[in-house]
Amino acid sequence: MMPETQLEEAVCLAALHITEPVLRAQFLNRACAGDARLRAAVEGMLRASDAAESFFDNCRAAVDVSKLDAQAASALKETGTEFDDLTDEQLGSRLGRYKLLQKIGEGGCGVVYLAEQEEPVRRQVALKVIKLGMDTKSVIVRFEAERQALAMMDHPNIARVLDAGATEIGRPFFVMELVRGTRMTKFCDENNLDTVQRLKLFIQVCRAIQHAHQKGVIHRDIKPSNVLVSLHDGLPVPKVIDFGIAKATEGRLTNNTMFTAVEQFVGTPAYMSPEQADVTGLDVDTRSDIYSLGVLLYELLTGRTPFDTDVLMQSGLDEMRRTLREKDPQLPSTMITSLQKTELTLTAGRRRTEPPKLISQIEGDLDWIVMKALEKDRNRRYDTANGLALDIQRSIESEPVLARPPSQLYRFKKLVLRNKIVFAASGAVALALLIGLGMSTWLFFREREARFHEQDARERESKLRAEAEDRAKITQAVMFVTQGKLDDADAMLNQVKNFPLNPTLDGASALRSVGEWLALQGRWEPARELYSALVKMDRLDSLGQIIFDYQAFGVVLAESGDLEQYGNFFQLAVTNFSENPNASILIASLLLPLNETQIKILKPMEAAAEKQLHAIPRDRRSEWTFVPFCLWQYRSGNYEATIERCKNALAQNVKFPCSEAIIHAVSAMAYFHNGETDEACSELTQSRQLIDEKFKSGLDHGRPGSGFWYDWVYARHLAQEAAALINCNSDKSAPE
Amino acid sequence: MNNITLVLESVGRGESKATEELFPLVYEELRRLAAARMANEAAGHTLQPTALVHEAWLQLIGAGERTWKNRAHFFGAAADAMRRILIDNARRKSALKHGGGQERVAIEDLEITATTLDEHILMIDEALQRLEAEDPQKARIVSLKFFGGLNNEETAETLGISLSTVKRQWILARIKLFRLIQEQNG
Repeated sequence: MMPETQLEEAVCLAALHITEPVLRAQFLNRACAGDARLRAAVEGMLRASDAAESFFDNCRAAVDVSKLDAQAASALKETGTEFDDLTDEQLGSRLGRYKLLQKIGEGGCGVVYLAEQEEPVRRQVALKVIKLGMDTKSVIVRFEAERQALAMMDHPNIARVLDAGATEIGRPFFVMELVRGTRMTKFCDENNLDTVQRLKLFIQVCRAIQHAHQKGVIHRDIKPSNVLVSLHDGLPVPKVIDFGIAKATEGRLTNNTMFTAVEQFVGTPAYMSPEQADVTGLDVDTRSDIYSLGVLLYELLTGRTPFDTDVLMQSGLDEMRRTLREKDPQLPSTMITSLQKTELTLTAGRRRTEPPKLISQIEGDLDWIVMKALEKDRNRRYDTANGLALDIQRSIESEPVLARPPSQLYRFKKLVLRNKIVFAASGAVALALLIGLGMSTWLFFREREARFHEQDARERESKLRAEAEDRAKITQAVMFVTQGKLDDADAMLNQVKNFPLNPTLDGASALRSVGEWLALQGRWEPARELYSALVKMDRLDSLGQIIFDYQAFGVVLAESGDLEQYGNFFQLAVTNFSENPNASILIASLLLPLNETQIKILKPMEAAAEKQLHAIPRDRRSEWTFVPFCLWQYRSGNYEATIERCKNALAQNVKFPCSEAIIHAVSAMAYFHNGETDEACSELTQSRQLIDEKFKSGLDHGRPGSGFWYDWVYARHLAQEAAALINCNSDKSAPE
Repeated sequence: MNNITLVLESVGRGESKATEELFPLVYEELRRLAAARMANEAAGHTLQPTALVHEAWLQLIGAGERTWKNRAHFFGAAADAMRRILIDNARRKSALKHGGGQERVAIEDLEITATTLDEHILMIDEALQRLEAEDPQKARIVSLKFFGGLNNEETAETLGISLSTVKRQWILARIKLFRLIQEQNG
């Protein structure tokens, strides 16, 4: 709006408040003094004002009493009927190639009919008419997009989706393989399956989901009513139904469902993953299915869902989201313990056992398996359905499982994460930023989300598929590792196109095992590839584990001769551990000669390590305690100080061959630079003897103190550096 | 079962497609309600936007939904839908009366009888389209209040502006529109 228009409007409004004509004229004289154009404009507006008011009042009445004539009414009516349900009279009628025979169920998002397909083959199918009532076209389009992937699924525990179409009145329908079965939880209860039987049945479900994931299909709506169990030759066989339907009717799973049709959707919110409950609800991947599988497992074990459906629904939308996103569910065993006595006895009875036995069956491994599947952060869940199945198999066979209770540190991190908004807002700077950037940020997100939505769905789908395949391969590798088939694991990891940047515990442990296996064989190049992926992925592990991985990575880089990457590694280590400076990382960073800049960068870490050294009681110190300082002085070019440090280190009571080999090598080089060649040669010989002895007996994973494999490789690398430097007459062969 | 709450959520996130999706949903519901009224009343049926819009809200969303943002988006779409229905209705009747021809109405007639009220609605719509280009906020207020039957509070809520702004702009918008209509027909 132009400024002059604003002025006109402001004067006009003010004038309208003055009803007395003389006063109004006086006001206008003052307000429009010397501005004839303004005066004319305002007076024009004022003149129209009364007429405008009555005109609109009249029309308002016209709108309210607008009489619809017969023609208008029938025009309205034509489109008014499409909301009525398909009624039973229509049984026997036909939908395309399908003849409706019988209504066999109602619930979820639609009505399911038993139907007969007549061509190309005559068979009975299940036909599900979606009650959405609108937007049929896009449902079908989405289904068509998914169709190829659905067609690729071929698994005995998956009911095939055969076809989709639209009814005469425009509702979408899906045609599925007919499955006559009972919902999984009900089947288990009715047949009193014990815990192990339930777990075995559940593993079959996991395998089916895994198969779908490998074909790039995410179910998105796993719940007991979508897993039907029937008996085949006396054996229970589960079948997962409704694949692809949640995707096609996108959005059905988010928040609205429980408010629009409460009675139809009982059960759904309890099975929804936190990311599905999220406002955006867009970013769903295979791990959302893992969460829902976790809920299913929880219910199979305890008879309850982790969060009570009724409570979730009554709590309102926002509270429900908060619960799913933040609240940790009770451990399954705790849930059972908290049941009322009658329910407890019933629950145990349905599992053919007594309450105390049931609790002890679940306590421990099964608790942690369920909790790992139910992690809020999907990066901490099982990577794949297969991974979940494998862990359950291990628990059945009383083997150690991957899942484990969260550490205190992890719990604390989660607490901080949960309250990060409070933390951030408490800082004045953050507050100022919030106010200043609030608007533009909001606009940015709006824009970004809009674009995200526009993004070609197929592109996203194929990316998801590739990610799922890579994750599946990593899981497969994990399995090979646990079976000790490391070359198979290596081959599997070779096929991974892109290592996921999202940190995962399983994936990291597989890369670590195979990487170490390769390193022990001296296959440095492939080992380097795995370790460089590993240090990106292992952010979830404990600090100690991450430090080990860095140490190994540094050694692998040096051995593979990739000096450029070692430079990057040095930077990465310094940056990542700036808040946790420690002697191990210092050692890892000192393996190769440093330039002045690098020395400067490393100085704070050395200072921090020096400080830590003084905190270690004298009787707890070992040679290792002094290794970083010997190296530091040597790399800084202080040869006198190096020799002093090395002497001091070798005088410690607690000695290890590995640290001793390192110190001798460093001291050899320092003596040499000092011009004391004899001492240098003697030191070098001592170092080599220790190293030769170790490598002769073969390298293994190693132990703290006596040295891990990478400590020994580190020592050998230093001794080689020294040998290249010092020319001793009595030189024998270089250490292997 | 319908997905209107979902669409409303999407509108809340600023997805432009969702706004397009919302309109037909609300439009259909309003038409359905209007048709239902017709069936129940023998003759002389009345269309009250206020009642229809609120009834459509209950039908589509239910009483459980409490977030005002959703209500606001819904009202916005409902006003547009109601406008379309009223205009279609007026056009049809007007066409019947004039044998299919469109006839200009002289400005003097504006104050007179109820027989030309349908034409009034069409005139307002036409002028409103011009106002939309010049001053979108005013046009939106007129659309919500006049066609959607929203009161000042609901209008303020829908547009996310203050009540006093709605009142002021409504007065100014009426004047503007009236003068536009005068221009059109003068």
